[in-house]
Formats: sequence, structure tokens, C-alpha cells
Amino acid sequence: MTRTAAQLERFLSSREGQREGVPEPEVKGLLRELGLPVPAGIFIPAGDPVPSPFPLPFPLVAKVVSPAIASKSDVGGVRIGIGDRNELAAAVANLSAIAAADGVLVEEQARPGVEVIVGGIVDPQFGPVVMVGLGGLFVELFRDVAFALAPLERNAARRLVGRMKGAAVLGGYRGRAPVDGEALVSVIVTVSELIGSGIIGEIDLNPVILCPDGAMVVDAKMTVLGTSRCACI
Amino acid sequence: MRDLDCLFTPRSIALIGASPDAGHLGGVVFSNLRAFRGRLYPVNPRHREIGGIVAFPSIRDLPEPVDLSVILRPAAEIPHLLAEHAGRARCAVIVSAGFAETGADALQREVEQLGRELGIRLMGPNCLGVFNPYRRLDTFFLPHDRFRRPRRGNVAVVSQSGALLVCLLEALARAGRGVSRGINYGNAVDIDAPDLFDYLADDPETGVVIAYLESVGDGRRFMAAAAALERRKPLIILKAGKGAGGARAAFSHTGRLAGNYEVFSSILGQFGIREAGTFEELLDATHALSRQRPAPGRRVCIVTNAGGLGVLAADECSRQGLVLSPLPADVQLRLRENLPPFYSVGNPLDLTGQVTDGEYLTALHEIQDSCDGIFVIAHTGVAGITPRLAALLADFRSLSGKPLVVLLGQGGTGAKLARLLERDGIPCYPSPERGVRGLRALLGTGGEP
Repeated sequence: MTRTAAQLERFLSSREGQREGVPEPEVKGLLRELGLPVPAGIFIPAGDPVPSPFPLPFPLVAKVVSPAIASKSDVGGVRIGIGDRNELAAAVANLSAIAAADGVLVEEQARPGVEVIVGGIVDPQFGPVVMVGLGGLFVELFRDVAFALAPLERNAARRLVGRMKGAAVLGGYRGRAPVDGEALVSVIVTVSELIGSGIIGEIDLNPVILCPDGAMVVDAKMTVLGTSRCACI
Repeated sequence: MRDLDCLFTPRSIALIGASPDAGHLGGVVFSNLRAFRGRLYPVNPRHREIGGIVAFPSIRDLPEPVDLSVILRPAAEIPHLLAEHAGRARCAVIVSAGFAETGADALQREVEQLGRELGIRLMGPNCLGVFNPYRRLDTFFLPHDRFRRPRRGNVAVVSQSGALLVCLLEALARAGRGVSRGINYGNAVDIDAPDLFDYLADDPETGVVIAYLESVGDGRRFMAAAAALERRKPLIILKAGKGAGGARAAFSHTGRLAGNYEVFSSILGQFGIREAGTFEELLDATHALSRQRPAPGRRVCIVTNAGGLGVLAADECSRQGLVLSPLPADVQLRLRENLPPFYSVGNPLDLTGQVTDGEYLTALHEIQDSCDGIFVIAHTGVAGITPRLAALLADFRSLSGKPLVVLLGQGGTGAKLARLLERDGIPCYPSPERGVRGLRALLGTGGEP
């Protein structure tokens, strides 16, 4: 068993048999344990007060947390660029009021960079498959993605990145500094091990923001196999 | 004897449902199998002899167990007939239709289980079976006057669809090219694409494998066999159903992006397996790979005597991800010294309508170290090009070893040159785009190593 799979087993047993779609704070907790870069964050359950003083530096991002919401932005469930304590209080109050909200995840806002998506699915023909794609608008518009059988070693993950048509964007384009390709490779390898464990049904890290010195997993979704997917949509 | 030798190089064949009637499928296959180099046993309880050959009531009555049984009887009879094969045949091609493709799933499962229990390898049902010109083995129920078979060659054609197999074989025959095997495996209760890839990887008569696929069963088994084959000889896949799928209701973005075709195509790339986008691309790539071995690299030099054709070829190179490498200064200098001053030294290298055979050779010697593959365009409407060019190019190619394809004019000298060049292993194309696609097939692979 890989280190990732062992960690995943521990994570799942700690969830005491809850098999529904995993809430974002818990997915990010797992990713942090696996060594992936995730923003510092605090989960505020619905109805709880906002801690004072707030222990994270502004600007902040607030996101609704609910197993019933598949797309947070579709329900207006994300606030970015929160600049001070008053804005934060308002954001947390508004997001907690969204139907079926369990609470609000408040995180440090990530630095800008090149957005990519890293994900995994269990394909009916090929079994566990890992994907990388250029994120943001490009993933919808141009479907510039590449797939590989999971799990992957670092070298195979590097080749996977090279198979995106727009891979040149990562190498520094029009005078921009190249992004941290090795940080992306680490994310891909970990996601490929998670999906390759046979325990995960789907996983989406979207976006992962790549900077010249490191990466940040800004949003993360995951289901555990055996989960009724309907519960998450 | 290897596992599938009984299917492709049998010593003896039983034809279940052989008929003396040329209008009957059993009559067509009987007539085609008469040329088979081995022992043929027609089986039909209603005839004592067919076409002068002793016929037998049942496979149990044959004087020996056979390597291959070809079965052309209605679907409902197949389980009973197959049961009679116990110990009498090593493998069987079930040509008959009327199984899972028409919803008769239970009947198909019965046949599958019988084959396993009896230890008989099965091809089909619902298939044309196999064509092996090296043994004159031909199980296709298509008369020769309706479907001209290709001659012997080194291309194995594997097709999930019978009609597509026939179209591909006809196209190869029309272009004067040869095949090693033609295979349509139908519903694949037993023998499936991975089994065929394993067999063809070891088959000395096969140098290139092309496969038309609609679906693959176990994707990981398929890719493992395809990748193992690709390590031995080139494999090119044409996949139908590119638009299908992608509509899966998914929790994740990844799931919505993972259409069946997108995943399949991308994983081919992971294993460096070539994929043709269209029927024509498949044929153009096959042509090149049946003549020359692929080599690594992406750098191309174009040597032309027609500026426009060179530019179109350069355009296609960029579409195909090939690089027109600039010529080093010393190469340019020597080319200027050795060629008339009005020739355009660069890449494409334009030798103009004034060119002579020998100047092509001068140019090729100078540019060969600056590229991985060479595209020679010889518009044959000019006086300086003669049939002698074929031998010059063939000699150059055998020394340099680099992939080299040629575009020729279609008139007079062009046809003769094409014949000579093809004989010497240099593929000729009628248009700049198709020539570049042929060269692309010879450079690198479909993806990463």
C-alpha cells in the first residue's frame, strides 16, 4: 500500500463510517496531511460566531460548505477579496443563510498565477484515471486536458503535463516567469495515488494555482466510492 | 505451435455448412477455401461430396481432428454444433450472425461458455474471420469477383467491423499494396483485440498493424497489449465514435470532461500509440510505415523543385507538429557554392524548374544532418527529372537511413518514378499534405515513448 493509500484509510476510518461526499474542509485536511499546499483556513459552523480577533490575515475568501451543493458559485456561495472584519462578518452571515449550509470555510486568499485543474475519476473502461488540464475558462472552452492511467510516477506525471496543448503556458510565456512545474507534478502524483487507491470515486482540485515558487490547491471536491452521488448534486 | 497459430496458419480446416451452391454463403466460402494450402473437409449431412471433395455428415466423422473449424450455420444451431466439436477442433470461427448484436445475449453467453468448457478458441460470432494470403486462407463469405483481395505484404488489418475491414483491404488492393493478415473478430466472445495484438507482435510476416475499433472491453488489458505490440512494431488505431460519450452526469469537472473518446485517445498518447483521425490518414500512415521504420525526432527538411508545393508542405508540417529546421550557415554556404545562384537556399530548399536529378542528390547530402526526416518534392513536368532519380534517391536513403517520402507529379515520368521508388521502399504521395502526414507517421510516435 502506498503512503497515500495508508493515509487515506486512516482518514476514512476517522470519519466514523460517514460515506457521503466529503466536505471541503475535510478534503483539504487530507490533502494537507498528504503534503499538498492548501490555504490556511478556518471552518465556522452555521450559527457560530466569527472568532475575534480573526487569526488569519486579510484579504480572505469565504465559501459555503454543504454536501447538498455541487457548484458553490452557482448558488452565490463564494466571496473573495474580503478586506476587513466587517466584510467578513457580513460574508459569513450571508453564506450561512444559504439553504442546506453546514457552515462557512474562511481561507487566506491565494496569490494569482496560472490556473490548472487536476482530477481523477474511475472510468468504466479504464478504471482509475488521472487528468490535468489548463484551468479557468480554458478548461470549459478548449477542453485542453490530458488523461493517464493512475497511479503515476513523477516522470509519467511530467509527460502527462507535456501532453496538454497549452503546456507552453507553464514554461513562461511572453516574458512571464515559468511556474513551479515540480509542484504541479507532486499534486498530480498524489491525486493519481488517491484515485488509484480504489477508494475514491471522483476527485477534483479546481483550480490549482501555479506560481513561480509553488502551487496552491484553492478548491477541492471528492467523493468516496459507494457514496450515493445524488446526494452531492 | 503457438496459441493462435491454429487460427491463422492451420494445417487442416473443417467447413461446417459447406455447400455446392455458389449462391449460398457456404458455397462462397467453400469456393474461396479450395485454394487453401492444407487439408479441407467440407461438412454437410445432406451431401456425400461437394465440388469433388468428400463431404462428412458431422465434424465427428472427420478422419482427424482439425486445427480450424469455420462455422456457417444459423445461430440457433451453434450450441449443438459446437458441442460436437469436443476434441475435434482447436479453434473455430463462428461466422453466423444473430447473437448479442440482435439482442440474443443468452445464446451468445451459452456459446462463450461452451468454447471455454471445450477448450476451443473462438473467433466471432458475427464475423468475417481471417484472411492470410501466405496460406491462401480466406474465410470471408465474399466472392472474388465482388471483392478483390490484396496481395501478400506486411500490413495486418484488424477490424471490429466487417464492412470496414473490406473497405480497408479494397483500398490497399487498389493502391497495389499487400497485407499479411485481414481479421474481423465480430462479437469477440473469446478472441479479442488484445489476443490479436499479442499474436501479431510475434508474427514474422507482419511489420505494421492497423486496427479499426468501435469499443474496447477491458481498457487496461487493451492498452497493455497495444503498448507491448507498439514496442515491437508500429500500431495505428482508427477509433469510431469520437463524438459519443462526454455526457456523463458527474459530480466533478473531471468527470464531465472525461468523455469515452477523450479518455481513450489521451491514454493512447500516454503509451505512444499512433491514432489516425480519418480513414485516409490511416491509409497514408500505413503506406509510410509499411515501407520504412519510424525514427525519433521532429525536424523535417523539404527539398522541392516547385515553390508552391514546398510552401503547402511546410504549412502541413506546422499543423502536424513537425519542425522545419533552419539550415546551418556552413550548409547554406556549401549549397550556394554547389548549386546555381538562382536556387533558393533555405528550408524548404527550392531547386526550381531548372533542377536536374544529380542536384537533388547534392542537396540531400548537404541537408541530411540538419533533420530527422526528408520530404522530396519532384514535380515531374520539367525536363531535368528522369527515371534515374529513383535509383539516386533509393541509394541515398539506404545510406542515410532517415525517413524519406516523395511527392511526384502525376504525369508521364511521375508514374514511372513512383513505381520504381515504391519498389525500393520509398513511399510516394500525390499531394503535399498527404506526403507530410506520411512522413509524420515515420517520425516519433503518436505520443510519448
